[in-house]
Amino acid sequence: MSAAHQSDASATETPAGIVQGDLQDQKIAGYQSLLGVTPIQSVTLPGLQTQSGFKFDQVVVSYQTLGRLSPRRDNAILVGHALSGNAHVAGLHPDTGRPGWWDYHVGPGKAIDTDKFFVICSNVLGGCDGTTGPLSPRPDTGKPYGTDFPPVTVADMVAVQAKLIEHLGISRLLAVVGGSMGGMQALSWAVQFPERVRVCIPIATCASHSAMQIAFNEIGRRAIITDPNWNGGNYTPDCRPTHGLAVARMVGHVTYLSEYAMTRKFGRSLQPRVPAAADEAALFAVESYLHHQGESFVRRFDPNSYLYLTKALDQFDLFDGQPPEEVLSRLKARFLVISFASDWLYPPAQSQALVRWLKRCRVAATYINLETLYGHDSFLIENPEFAQVVRHYLDHELRSADTAKEAPAAG
Amino acid sequence: MHPGIYETVLDWVPEGARVLDLGTGDGAFLERAVRARHLMAEGVEKDPDLVSRCIQRGLVVHQGNIAEGLDQYGDQSFDYALLLGTFQELVAPDQIVREAFRVGRRVIIAYTNFAHYRVRLQILFRGRAPVTKSLPQAWFRTTNLHFLSTLDFREFSRQMGVAPVRSAAFNSSGPVRLFPNLFAEEVVTLLEPGNA
Repeated sequence: MSAAHQSDASATETPAGIVQGDLQDQKIAGYQSLLGVTPIQSVTLPGLQTQSGFKFDQVVVSYQTLGRLSPRRDNAILVGHALSGNAHVAGLHPDTGRPGWWDYHVGPGKAIDTDKFFVICSNVLGGCDGTTGPLSPRPDTGKPYGTDFPPVTVADMVAVQAKLIEHLGISRLLAVVGGSMGGMQALSWAVQFPERVRVCIPIATCASHSAMQIAFNEIGRRAIITDPNWNGGNYTPDCRPTHGLAVARMVGHVTYLSEYAMTRKFGRSLQPRVPAAADEAALFAVESYLHHQGESFVRRFDPNSYLYLTKALDQFDLFDGQPPEEVLSRLKARFLVISFASDWLYPPAQSQALVRWLKRCRVAATYINLETLYGHDSFLIENPEFAQVVRHYLDHELRSADTAKEAPAAG
Repeated sequence: MHPGIYETVLDWVPEGARVLDLGTGDGAFLERAVRARHLMAEGVEKDPDLVSRCIQRGLVVHQGNIAEGLDQYGDQSFDYALLLGTFQELVAPDQIVREAFRVGRRVIIAYTNFAHYRVRLQILFRGRAPVTKSLPQAWFRTTNLHFLSTLDFREFSRQMGVAPVRSAAFNSSGPVRLFPNLFAEEVVTLLEPGNA
């Protein structure tokens, strides 16, 4: 593809102005964040033992905080990112100038209002955007872990987040919020640290992956490990399995959309060719778009990380083989569970099954199935109905936290 | 619904009770009830816009269609299940009432009385489907699927094996004490398990 072709494909605004996919992968003309440029920080935290038994002497965590921590330290909201996300949740990136992945919903006056809340987002363990992961150097050899990196679980990600929260002097979170993989983190938080979560907001997620969800992830993994450049995970920076990762991203991206969204955005329209080659079949706009998604993703994501994180998603089981009643009876948090009617990757039925367990265990759980038409990505796009629900719920929690006059959480 | 219906329900439901409001709408009544009676309450509503309004009010609310059952709630999880203004819109009211008695110990139902004298007169003298204050929509536009009288409701309760222990009836001029099947436009009844 020519360079001109790529930039055509990256003009991803639909006629209705709906931008899909990660905001950080978009070039949106004239985009301005209410937060301006937001710094991304890094901290080295003391040792961690993973669920698999591997011991890290230290873990580096890339994170971002927005807003102000209240004097009572009771207004902190942890945001968990999804598979392709990172610590840069909102505001413009100091280096690239691109918006954070949830800039539509985190900021002054937004769903998660940085004028009221202290928002924390960190790159997950096993990720590739500053937190310890397969790309990080091994302490003994100085070379990247690659596939010597231990298996990572959602519980491990949450354990690292808990260390970060402690480091920031926060003993109890007002809320843990996240979509997709971020939603699994939110659920895990409520189970692992019941005393430290007031409100849990899992969005477009599930208590465990279905065969279909595992199947899509396996296609992605297979594409990576059958790329000749993968080399058992020991690839070099200039010879990465980029083709495999691009295909993985293309499959993944399709599962995040809906038929409605794709029809509306692309239909059967053709991509203009520069220069037109008479002997080639015309390229559909949707094909070109997926090529672009794949190509821009490989520039910022590590193939091994993709393997580790998708495995963590597939292995995730909120109940971990225990009776759900036993696991959920420990919960202290109130829940707001959100699904999207058009999400066929994490179908509403999964959220409803989760809600059923919560309610049967007498957890105060509010459930809403929003009619947003844009598939799994519905929580990432500009979405006033979604934003309103989250904002109202959090506002109410903040008010009831104030009126309850709880003992200040000791730092 | 007649405002008296809501006042009556507030009066019947004791302080701190666990209440499930089926078809809670925008949650205006439930919010009021929670404040007035410090209820442990939850609403069920199928319209996401109305669910969103309930969330704005700070209510615990579940988006779901009560016609599909209340599977998400365990047996006897509530002291009271409320069906205020939705009862006649249900395809299978008998099944919903059975389900309401599974999750709740008592059930409060409000309905419009189809044997009110104005309804009777309209049918008798005009020979047309009635349009009244409590049945304001034409036959093709009404959300009511079922039309019943207070006598029908009594018979329904008997067949369901539940007992109407308290009732209050209203028309546009206030509470109705005499001949409710003739003069009541709207009725609310508290049901308990077992025949009276």
